[in-house]
Amino acid sequence: MSTTDDRVAGPAPGATTSRATAEAAAALTGAPPTARGRRPRPGQVALAVALPLLAIALWQVAVWVFAPREWILPSPGDVARAGWDARDRLWFHMQWTILIAVIGLTLAIAIGSALAYLIARSRIAWLAAYPWIIVSQVIPLVALAPLLVLWFPPFVAILVLAVLMSIFPVVVAGVDGLRRTDRDLIRAARGLGAGDAWTWHHVRVPAALPRLFTGMRLAAVFVVSGAVVGELVASERGLGALTRLTAGQFETAITFAAVVLLGLIGLGLFGLIALAERIALPWTRRATRRGA
Amino acid sequence: MPVLDGVDFVARAGEATAIIGPSGCGKSTLLDVLAGLATADSGQADPGGPVALMPQGDALMPWLTLRENIAMGARLTGAPAPEAAGRADTAIAALGLGGFGDHYPHALSGGMRQRAALARTMLAGRPTWLLDEPFGALDALTRSGMHDVLRDLRATERPTILLVTHDVSEAAALCDRILVASPRPMRIVDDIRVGGGTPSATVDAVMASLRTAGALA
Repeated sequence: MSTTDDRVAGPAPGATTSRATAEAAAALTGAPPTARGRRPRPGQVALAVALPLLAIALWQVAVWVFAPREWILPSPGDVARAGWDARDRLWFHMQWTILIAVIGLTLAIAIGSALAYLIARSRIAWLAAYPWIIVSQVIPLVALAPLLVLWFPPFVAILVLAVLMSIFPVVVAGVDGLRRTDRDLIRAARGLGAGDAWTWHHVRVPAALPRLFTGMRLAAVFVVSGAVVGELVASERGLGALTRLTAGQFETAITFAAVVLLGLIGLGLFGLIALAERIALPWTRRATRRGA
Repeated sequence: MPVLDGVDFVARAGEATAIIGPSGCGKSTLLDVLAGLATADSGQADPGGPVALMPQGDALMPWLTLRENIAMGARLTGAPAPEAAGRADTAIAALGLGGFGDHYPHALSGGMRQRAALARTMLAGRPTWLLDEPFGALDALTRSGMHDVLRDLRATERPTILLVTHDVSEAAALCDRILVASPRPMRIVDDIRVGGGTPSATVDAVMASLRTAGALA
C-alpha cells in the first residue's frame, strides 16, 4: 500500500539523535524508505559522530599549520571562545531569528496545508493556483527581498520572505498526498456507502498526513534560510544581521558562531516537526497499538 | 470495447452466488456497477437495496485501530460513535479477535485483518454483500479458516452474497450457485447449481465450462 511506505522503525532509547540524522538525510536526499526503517548499528552511529569531529580536528590542524590571520579563518577554538564571550549578544540576535522562524513555519504550514487541500479538492483551484505556485518558485526569492523591504515594515518583510521560502514543500507534499490515496482504501469506504465529503475527510486527509509531514520537515529547514536572507537585507536584529555586521567588522569568529547557531535552529525546528509526527502518527512508526 | 456485455442474472435473497472467470474479465467492474461506484453505458443493475462492497485485500485504514476500522462500517450507517464502538467490540469477540481491538492493522496477521474487513462489511448492515476476491492474498491454511468464518456469518447474518473469485474450489465450497464468466467482454456463459453432485463433480463442471468459454487459454 502506498500509504504505508513512509513507515519508520520504533523508538530506540539513546539512538534518537542518530535516527533523526538518518531521517534528515533520508528526507533531504530522497533515500529509499527501506534505508530508514532499520535502527542504526553502534558502528554506524560512531561513524556519524566521528566524521564531523574529524572535520573540526582537520580545521584546527589547518589553522595551526598555515596560521592564517584570525579575521580570515579563526580556529574552532577561537570560534568557541569568541562565541562564549559574546553569548549575550548572540542570544539577543538568536531570539529574534527563532521568533521569525517559528512564526514563519507556523504560517507556512497553516497556509500551505489549506492551499494543498483546496488545490487537490477543487479542479478550479488546481488550474488557477497550482501552476502559479510552481512558477513562483522559479523566481529566485532572494531577489524579492529588496522589494519586500520597500513595501513592508522590516519584520513583516522578513516574515513574508520566510513564508515564501518554506511554503512550497508543504503545498507540493500535501497535494501529492491527497491525490495519491490508495485506490483500495477509497473503494472500501465508497463501497460501504461513504459519500464524497466523508471519503475526503476520513480517508484522503489522514492518508496524506505522512507525506505532508515530509513537506513540513523540509519547510522547517527552508524557513531559517528565508529568515536569514530577510535579516541580511532588512534588519539590524537577528543572526542574519549579525553575520553581516560582524563579517563587515572582521569579527569573523563571531560570524562563525552565528552560523553554527543558525544550523542549530534549523536542526531544532526539524526535530520539533519529527517529534510532532511521532506523536500524531503512531501508525507510521509501526507502533503495535494506540498509546504504545 | 465494452468491459461487460451480456451479463444477465438474478440472485435470490439469502443466496450466495459466485462469479468465476479469468483475471481481468471485468468482475470487479460488475461489482462497482452494482455498488453504484461506476455506471453502465446500457442495461440495468438493480441490487434490490443497499449493498456493501468489500474490495480485494483487506483495505483497512492503516491509521485506525482494529476497533475503529470495524466501527467504521457502523459509523457509515449513521450510528453514533459509542454505539458503533460497542457493536465493533461484539464483532471482535464473535470473530476471535479479542484483545486486539487497540492494535493497528499492520501489527496483525493477514487472516486477522481479513476477519476485521468482513466485520466492517457486516456492521454496515446492508442486506447484500459484494465480495471482490476477499481471500486471494491469503495462504491456503488461513484461507480455509476464513471460509469457515464466512460460512458462520452466512448462518447468523443471512446476507445475499455475490462472491467474485478465480478459485473454483472456493466457489464450490462457499456458494449455492456458480456463474461462469467469459474473458472480456464479460458474458455469463454458464449457471451451475452447487450441491447437485459431489464437490469434485461441481469443480469439473465449472472447469469444463471455463474451457468452453476460452478462459483457460
